[in-house]
Amino acid sequence: MLLDDNDIQTICLTLKLASITTIILLIIGTLLAWWLTHSKRKWKKIINAIVALPLVLPPSVLGFYLLLAMGPNGFVGKITNALGISPLPFTFSGLVVASVLYSLPFMVQPLNNAFESIGKRPLEVAATLRASPLDAFFSVILPMALPGYLTASILTFAHTVGEFGVVLMIGGNIPGKTRVSSVQIYDHVEALEYAAAHRLALVMVIFSFLVLLALYIWNPKSKKE
Amino acid sequence: MDNIEARFNLSFSNFNLDVNIKIPCQGVTAILGHSGSGKTTLLRCIAGLDYVKNGFLSYGGEVWQNEKFLLPTNKRPLGYVFQEAHLFPHLNVLENIGYGLKRTKTLNEVINLDQIIGLLGINGILTRRPEKLSGGEKQRVAIARALAVNPRLLLMDEPLASLDTKLKQEVLPYLQKLHNELKIPILYVTHSPQEVSQLADYLIVMKSGKVLANGPLSETFSKTGLPVYLGDEIGVIIEGIIGEIDTKWNLVRIDFDGGILWVPDNEQMILNQKVRTRIIARDVSIAKKEPEKCSIQNKLSGKIVQILNDQHKGKLLIYVSIGGSVFVSRLTRKASSELALTVDDHVWVQIKSVAIL
Amino acid sequence: MFIVFFMLCLLSSSAYAEKITIAAAADLKYAMDKIVKVFKKNHPLEDLEVIFGSSGKIFAQIQQGAPYDLYFAADISYPQELSKNGFASSDVKLYAIGKIVLWSTTHNASKMTLTDLKDTKIKHIAIANPKHAPYGKRAQEALEATKVWNDIKSKIVYGDNIVQTAQFVQSGNADIGIIALSIAMNPELSNQGAHWPIPDNLHKPLEQAYIITKRAANNKLARKFADFMETTPAREIMIKYGFVLPKERDQTKNPGKK
Repeated sequence: MLLDDNDIQTICLTLKLASITTIILLIIGTLLAWWLTHSKRKWKKIINAIVALPLVLPPSVLGFYLLLAMGPNGFVGKITNALGISPLPFTFSGLVVASVLYSLPFMVQPLNNAFESIGKRPLEVAATLRASPLDAFFSVILPMALPGYLTASILTFAHTVGEFGVVLMIGGNIPGKTRVSSVQIYDHVEALEYAAAHRLALVMVIFSFLVLLALYIWNPKSKKE
Repeated sequence: MDNIEARFNLSFSNFNLDVNIKIPCQGVTAILGHSGSGKTTLLRCIAGLDYVKNGFLSYGGEVWQNEKFLLPTNKRPLGYVFQEAHLFPHLNVLENIGYGLKRTKTLNEVINLDQIIGLLGINGILTRRPEKLSGGEKQRVAIARALAVNPRLLLMDEPLASLDTKLKQEVLPYLQKLHNELKIPILYVTHSPQEVSQLADYLIVMKSGKVLANGPLSETFSKTGLPVYLGDEIGVIIEGIIGEIDTKWNLVRIDFDGGILWVPDNEQMILNQKVRTRIIARDVSIAKKEPEKCSIQNKLSGKIVQILNDQHKGKLLIYVSIGGSVFVSRLTRKASSELALTVDDHVWVQIKSVAIL
Repeated sequence: MFIVFFMLCLLSSSAYAEKITIAAAADLKYAMDKIVKVFKKNHPLEDLEVIFGSSGKIFAQIQQGAPYDLYFAADISYPQELSKNGFASSDVKLYAIGKIVLWSTTHNASKMTLTDLKDTKIKHIAIANPKHAPYGKRAQEALEATKVWNDIKSKIVYGDNIVQTAQFVQSGNADIGIIALSIAMNPELSNQGAHWPIPDNLHKPLEQAYIITKRAANNKLARKFADFMETTPAREIMIKYGFVLPKERDQTKNPGKK
C-alpha cells in the first residue's frame, strides 16, 4: 500500500475539513458577497478590505491571533465559554472556524465578481415576472452565477486542503482530530521521513490536479469561448 | 374609463421628478422625452422598481402605493419589457416565456400562450437558447414573456432602442399588432417621435422630470409648448381610411376628417383600411389664395387657429384647422409677414409630402 | 524616498566583509539572544545573525546547502549525522544538557507531578511533537516512564517546536505543558507561572551539541564564536537559563549514542 493508515486518516480528515468549510462558506459567502455587491453603504469598502485580509496576512500570524482570540482569555473564547461550548483551539470545530475565516476571500471574491457581472437587472426582470426576491435568487441568480460558484467552491476547497500555518498554530496536531495532510507531510519532513512525505505529497498533488482539471473541463464559462 | 393615477415627487441635485398625472387604462400611451427627462424613472416607479417616498399610485382605483403602503413589483399585475431583452441565459425561449407564466396565479386568460407565440412569430425558435437568437428575436421573446403573465398593464421601456434600424423594422409590426389585437393598456417609453406616431393613442411629453403635455395623440402633438421641444420633427398625425386605390397613377386616396390626401401607393393598402399619416410642419406651405397649376397635389383650405414662435428666431409655426383636424406649417417670419397672416385668416395649405405610417 | 531606502539596503549588505549565520534550536531562543548580545559588545565590528528553528528542520536545510556557519542542535544525533556525511568542519561538540519541566499559567505546576496530569480538570496538555522535536521525544519518554502516557494520550496537543508548545500554554489554550527549562526561565514566562522540574532519570538525556559547518571551515569568526561559548560569560548565561553544562573545557566528544 502506498499510504499507511495514519496518512489515510489525515487525508479523510482533510477532505472532511475542506468539505465542511466549503459548505459553510457557500452560505456565509453568498450572504456576504450579495451584501457587498448590492449595498450602497460607504463602509462596505472597509468590509471588503477586511474580507481580503487573509490573502495578505501570513497564515501563522492569523493562526496566532486566532489562538489568542479563541483561547480562554480571548473574546471568542469568552463567548464560547458563556455559551457553554468548550474552547475551540485543538478541536475540529476550531479548525473549521479558522478555515472559514482563512478561506473567506476565496469564496467571497469570485461570488462578488459573479454577482457584480450579473447586476441588478435580472432580479428586476424576475420581479416583473411575479418572482419574489428569494425565488428570483434561486431561479435566476443562482443558475446564472453557477460558474462563479464553481470557481469559488473549488478555490475554497483547494485552499483549505492546502492550509497549513493556521492549522499548525491552533490545531495542536492531534491525530484524527486536527492532524490534516499538510501537517502530516510537514511532520514527515521534519522527522526526516522523506519517502513518506513524498508519497503523501504526491497523492495531494494528484488530487489537487484532478480537482482543478475538473474545474476547467466543467466550467461552462470556458466552454463557451 | 379607468385611469392610472400617478403622483411622484423627488428631487436630487442633478435630477428631479415632479409628476401628477392620470393615464387612461386603454390603448397605447407613449411617454416621450429626451434622455434625462425622467420618462424611464416614471415607468420604473409605476412598476415599483424604483421607490419614491410619499408617492401615490393607483391602477383603476386599486392603490399600489401610498404613504403607508407599497405593493412589491412581483405582486403588481403588470408586464415589463426592458430596453435590452434580458432573457435568462440558462433557459431556452419557451422556458423564458414559461418563467412568469408558472408564477402567475390569476389565469383570467385575456390572451393565451399560443396566441402570444403566434402574435410575435416565435413559433420556430421555442427550443433555442437566448445566445442563439438575433437581437430582434430576443426582443420579441422578451415581449412574449412579459405578455405571458397575463398583465393588466404592459410597460415598455424603449423596447426598440437597442436595435438597429433594420431590426426596428422587424419588431415594429409586432408592436402594432399588439396594439391592434390586445386590449391591454400599454405604457410605452421612447425618445422617438417616429415610434410615437406609429403606435400611440395617447401621449405624455416629459422634460426635466416634468410633464409638458398629456392627452390624445394628435391633439398633444400639436399642443402649445411642444413644437419648440420637438424641433425639426414637429408635425401632425392624421388618421383616415383608404377611400380609393388608383392603379393607373399608383396613388391612394386617404379620406380624413376635413378632406382628402393623395399619397403614393405602397402596394400594401387595402380599401377601407384605417391608416395613419404623419405630416411634418416644414413640408406644409401656406397660400392666401387657392394655388393654381402647381406641382403639389395636396391642397386643402382651412382657418388659422394659432401662430407660435418657433425654436428658430426667424421662423413661426402656423396652426391651421381643416375640418376636425389641425395641420402645422413652419414658415419664415418674413414669408408670414409678406402674407400678413393672422389668426382666423382663411388660407390654403399645400402639403409636399405625406408619410404613411 | 523609496529608492534611497532601497539603496541603503543594498549598501548595508555589502558593507561588511565577514559575517556569520548561526542556526540554533528553538530551546536556545532566549539564551542565545543574550549570548550574541554580549559577544557583539565585546566584538563590536563583527557581524552575526541567529536564526531559530527546530533541530530537524535546520538539519535538513544544511544538507540542502543552507548558508549556516554554526549549528546548535537540541539533540546530538543531528550534528552527529551531519558530521558522518561530511557536512561538518569541526568535531561534534557537546555544549549543554537540556532539562524539561511541567509548566502552567493556570495551575501551580511547581506543586504537581506527572501523575497529576490524569486529573479530569486538565483538558489539554501541550508537548512538542515527539516525531521531530527532541524536547517532545523526552517528554513522551518521561510520561511513558511514569506510566501515564496511555491515560493522557488523548489530551495531548502537539506544538511544532518547544517555543510554540510554550505558546499553547501561555495563551491558556492548553492547561499545562512540558517545555524546556530554558524557556520557562525566560522572565516573560516565569512571571506567568511556576514550573516543576521533571527528574532526569525519567528520560534519556537531552544532549545538545554543535558543529561548525563545512562552508565555515576557514571562517575565523565562526571559530571565534564557538570559542566564546566556552568562556565564563557565555556559560553563566547558559546556566542562568537552566542548562547543565559539560564540566571540563575539553569535554568534547560524543558520548556515543545511537
